[in-house]
Amino acid sequence: MADKSNDPVAIWQNMIGEMEKGLNSFSNQAMTSPEFSKVMNQVGGATAGAQKQFGELMEKYLIGMNLPSRAQMVGMAERLQAIEGQLNEIKALLHQVSHNSAAPDGGYGAPRPPRTKRPSPEGEKK
Amino acid sequence: MNAPAGLDLASIPDRIQSEVQRAIQRSIKGVEYISSSGPSLGSTPKDILHVRGTMNLYHYRPMTDEIYRVPILIVMATTNRGYILDMIPGQSFIEFLLKRGYDVYMLDWTPPKPEEKSLGMADYVLDFIPDCIRRVQQDSGETDVSVIGYCFGGVLSLLYGSIFNDGPMKNLICFTTPIDFREMKLFANFADRRYFDVDRLVDSVGNVPPEMILSSFEMLRPASRAVSQAQLWENIWNDEFVKSYRMFDRWATDTLPLAGEYFRDITKDLMWDNKLYNGSMSVGGRTADIANIKVPILHAVAEHDHIVPYEAAKHLIAKVGSSDKQEVMLKGGHVSLVAGANAIKRLWPKLDNWLGERSI
Repeated sequence: MADKSNDPVAIWQNMIGEMEKGLNSFSNQAMTSPEFSKVMNQVGGATAGAQKQFGELMEKYLIGMNLPSRAQMVGMAERLQAIEGQLNEIKALLHQVSHNSAAPDGGYGAPRPPRTKRPSPEGEKK
Repeated sequence: MNAPAGLDLASIPDRIQSEVQRAIQRSIKGVEYISSSGPSLGSTPKDILHVRGTMNLYHYRPMTDEIYRVPILIVMATTNRGYILDMIPGQSFIEFLLKRGYDVYMLDWTPPKPEEKSLGMADYVLDFIPDCIRRVQQDSGETDVSVIGYCFGGVLSLLYGSIFNDGPMKNLICFTTPIDFREMKLFANFADRRYFDVDRLVDSVGNVPPEMILSSFEMLRPASRAVSQAQLWENIWNDEFVKSYRMFDRWATDTLPLAGEYFRDITKDLMWDNKLYNGSMSVGGRTADIANIKVPILHAVAEHDHIVPYEAAKHLIAKVGSSDKQEVMLKGGHVSLVAGANAIKRLWPKLDNWLGERSI
């Protein structure tokens, strides 16, 4: 088998690994400075403000175009989620009602295994 | 001309052939990669016990003929999806627990809706977790419940345990849980109170967008995404590598938004004032000092965790009031500690040994 020190693939992989470590380490050092925090938060704050204004503008534009806005779509999704939630509540109620009856798939209504398990004596040796 | 020392000239033709075959496989598999959707994750059979807004409570169907008396409630981190603990059969922490005879429930999160921006820390600690505990008790018929918290799910579990310290939590297991937020140095610098106006951000955007959460995680290792993509291309001939890459990449980028007030509470109480570490934390007006926790506790930390460095997590065990307490440091990173090949060999059996005898 060829020596790893002469294997071009291994050399390439090693180089990439070292480069990753070096870049991460260098960036982390730079990012711990207060100046970085200042600049990052100035840019981030401006972006968040611009995003909000743009969102409001888009909302008005979509209403003007007689198209559903994101907020309206989210509203519809919420209603669907509420229906799903109610279905889950009904499932839970059915589960309670049929608690003692068997179901073949092991799902709601299936009898639960007894809570009698104890750790195996060899467990500690694993 | 002589060959350099260590270079086996006879192996060169084989090596070239192997590299050519891999290059061909890369092209074929590369097309497959783009046109397929990756493995199905989180498929261990489960029932939804309750859904309320961002909160989802699942019960996983038992896989053994008898189970331990005490059920487990897993509290997932609020930034990520719970399927990291239920990847695929054979690599699922949930499946492992079920096969070892535990009765498993999970509190998982979906993206908070715009009107849920007012959810704060108090909603998570004083409402969601107690509600799930009650439902687990009701569903299992048992009073005692063991709690497992992953990352920030561990912080929420600690806060819950320190307020509800007279039960019903029987055991607490935390995975990579920070308590000293000064030691999360990069996050602390990103959130430097002199420059980071959290009020302005939350008042502007409502819920904190997932892109922002993801960016802050990726900034901890800025070169790693590009390198991991290069590694993917290099190993795309290897089906196992590709499957694993897709699972973890999908999970890592499937970040959740955070409810606005909750993010404000985290920033002010934990990142700025470090109240959990100082013992001055309160949630909804109730003191949440982890010294009040008396139940058996296991804290698993990762040796190479770049998200929650050991310095940020190491004081947890010293500060809780439990007499039965243990910290285990295992090889791996923030994610590989709990999922993947390393976890199967290291963390999971360790946890089973610890929890089994405390679950009867």
